[in-house]
Amino acid sequence: MSRPIWPSVPSGFVRAVLAGHSALGLAFAALIFLVCFSGTAAVFIHEATRWERAGDPVVHTVTPAALQRGFEEGLKATPDADRVVLNLPSDDLPRYVMSTWVKDDSRMWVMDADGRPVARLVEPWTDFVQDLHIYLHLPHTWGLFVVGMVGVALLSSLVSGLLAHPRVFRDAFHLRWGGSKRLQEADLHNRIGVWALPFHVTLSLTGALLGLSTVIVGVLAMVVFKGDTGKAYALFATPEPPASTAPAAPANLAAISAALAARLPDARTTFVFVEDPRLAQQHISFGVETPGRLSRVIYSYDHTGALLGGTGYGDRNLGEGLFSAIGPVHFGWFGGWASKIAYGLLGVGLCVVTSSGVAIWLARRRARGQPAPRWERIWTAAVWSQPVAYGATMLGVVAANLPTVPVWGATTLAALATAAALGPAAISRVLRAAAAATLLAAGVAHVTVWRGQPVDPAAWGMDVALVALAVGLLTPETWRFFARPAPAPRLDDGRAIPGE
Amino acid sequence: MTAVTAALVAVGGAAACGTLRAAWKARAARRPWLMMAGWTLAAALLAAAVVLEGGAPGTFLALAVLPVGALALVASGLKLRDPRARPPREVALAPSDRASKAWRGGLRVLLAGPIGAVAAMGLALAFVVWTPGAPQTRMVLGGMLVPLLWGGAMAWTLADDRILRATAVLVGVAVVTFAASALRGFSV
Repeated sequence: MSRPIWPSVPSGFVRAVLAGHSALGLAFAALIFLVCFSGTAAVFIHEATRWERAGDPVVHTVTPAALQRGFEEGLKATPDADRVVLNLPSDDLPRYVMSTWVKDDSRMWVMDADGRPVARLVEPWTDFVQDLHIYLHLPHTWGLFVVGMVGVALLSSLVSGLLAHPRVFRDAFHLRWGGSKRLQEADLHNRIGVWALPFHVTLSLTGALLGLSTVIVGVLAMVVFKGDTGKAYALFATPEPPASTAPAAPANLAAISAALAARLPDARTTFVFVEDPRLAQQHISFGVETPGRLSRVIYSYDHTGALLGGTGYGDRNLGEGLFSAIGPVHFGWFGGWASKIAYGLLGVGLCVVTSSGVAIWLARRRARGQPAPRWERIWTAAVWSQPVAYGATMLGVVAANLPTVPVWGATTLAALATAAALGPAAISRVLRAAAAATLLAAGVAHVTVWRGQPVDPAAWGMDVALVALAVGLLTPETWRFFARPAPAPRLDDGRAIPGE
Repeated sequence: MTAVTAALVAVGGAAACGTLRAAWKARAARRPWLMMAGWTLAAALLAAAVVLEGGAPGTFLALAVLPVGALALVASGLKLRDPRARPPREVALAPSDRASKAWRGGLRVLLAGPIGAVAAMGLALAFVVWTPGAPQTRMVLGGMLVPLLWGGAMAWTLADDRILRATAVLVGVAVVTFAASALRGFSV
């Protein structure tokens, strides 16, 4: 075999980095797994909303008149509202939603295509997944910081993982199953880790940045703005109208919308945000996206409909463009189904990398004669607890409107309790079967509840997806069907590859 | 249109990965050419995605879809090991065994956590206040530096056995960068 092009790395360095990689992975594995699992589910959060709110009107476009009516309905429903937000439909979430705010209290309504409120919007499962991914259901400031720190730990693991595996490129095409548990898990861990590296770096960097943004802005403001974080945020804000508490009529959003459409015919308005809707300092923001651009722009207007300015595309500077693109890049909400499927698959891959990382450490301990059977059982239960818990929360919501967090917590604890009674293989089998049962039951319950009613067709698609997931969980042996017996790999000239 | 681009990039990604696999198996004389062909194909797919979908959407679509195609090709070569066969010769190195003293463990946690974070923020802050350009750009790039530098510090301090050296470097960096930032101030 020809000489490898990868430079040889001193073994002492590799072993030291590997020790750091192991320590970091073990310290953060459970949190990384929770965040990655919920993040994978969050990629399909719009589909989950359509499933959970299957009977809401499907609205593809909102006319300027319907926009105006929605705004006025919001003011009618909450006369003392200090903010009214109108979320407009997109291709993957064809819903028109209006929310009103009085200080920190908010109420949301689903609207029909004419801008009339149809029902109050409550979406417990969607909220559950989002809050788990963004805050881990902790108090928001702390939760966001912990998730940001998890992103940093993941980023650090990617760096140390590359440095700790000098053979990672040389072995880039090996994927072997069966035989030594450690080698099997190592193949899975290293193959997904190295081939999906650009995606994993993108995801962990944007996630860490989103999570740590409050701290970063706080530190920056402390040093250069004498602690005034408002000045730091103001750099990214749209221009505001002059302060005036004089009463004023609510803005004519229909006219602004029509003017915007005439000016930017390709653009799509994603949201309209109105602050102080009954005052002369009324501040109207139109969030807009354009095909071929990842970053979004926000245009702001005063109560007369005069354009004050815009921010976001990066036409003025790179920073604004990067800032507004971080969210879509992190969640994969930019390329329709193609990016969602890729993000979903690679998200599952990241869960597998996390799970197999701990499994390698446990298998290595066993191979060295220092097995940790309790941790083997606990880790297996922890990994498989999440599919069960997610299935149980879906079933609880659709069948009995049960609160999500207690159901998720109780199911996770019950799954962990199997570690006290069963071995790893049995835990895996039992929890996979339980996950399949809950997902299947959630799909069946959903069909039962909504049968005979006008339903968003995407909801039926989600039911099919749940059944497919259940079947997939029950048939891991499918792998064997696709695998072929392994003849010893050879070079082109028939010589054996060293190390095989 | 995006679905067509994604399909093209996924299939092309598998082809690029297949070419690299051929390079991996090939004789020395052919290897560089096959490697070049594989990476050129991957770069061409990235360029095609940019042309078809726009700069940023195309780039990130390719970064997500290329790995899927490559992993599909790697998965297609899945081989089953015979569980009765003797395991292959161990080539992977084991993590180093460190002397486990409580103070070293505690200091290592502090270095990888808060001290590394403060040093990373100090460097990012110095970048924000000392580099020229639009304030928004400096702030966003500085913000991106924080997780990158903190992650690097974590990887380094958890691996380096000379823990006092790491402490001195990180504390020194934090003091110097915060002082330099405070002296200069921020210009909008």
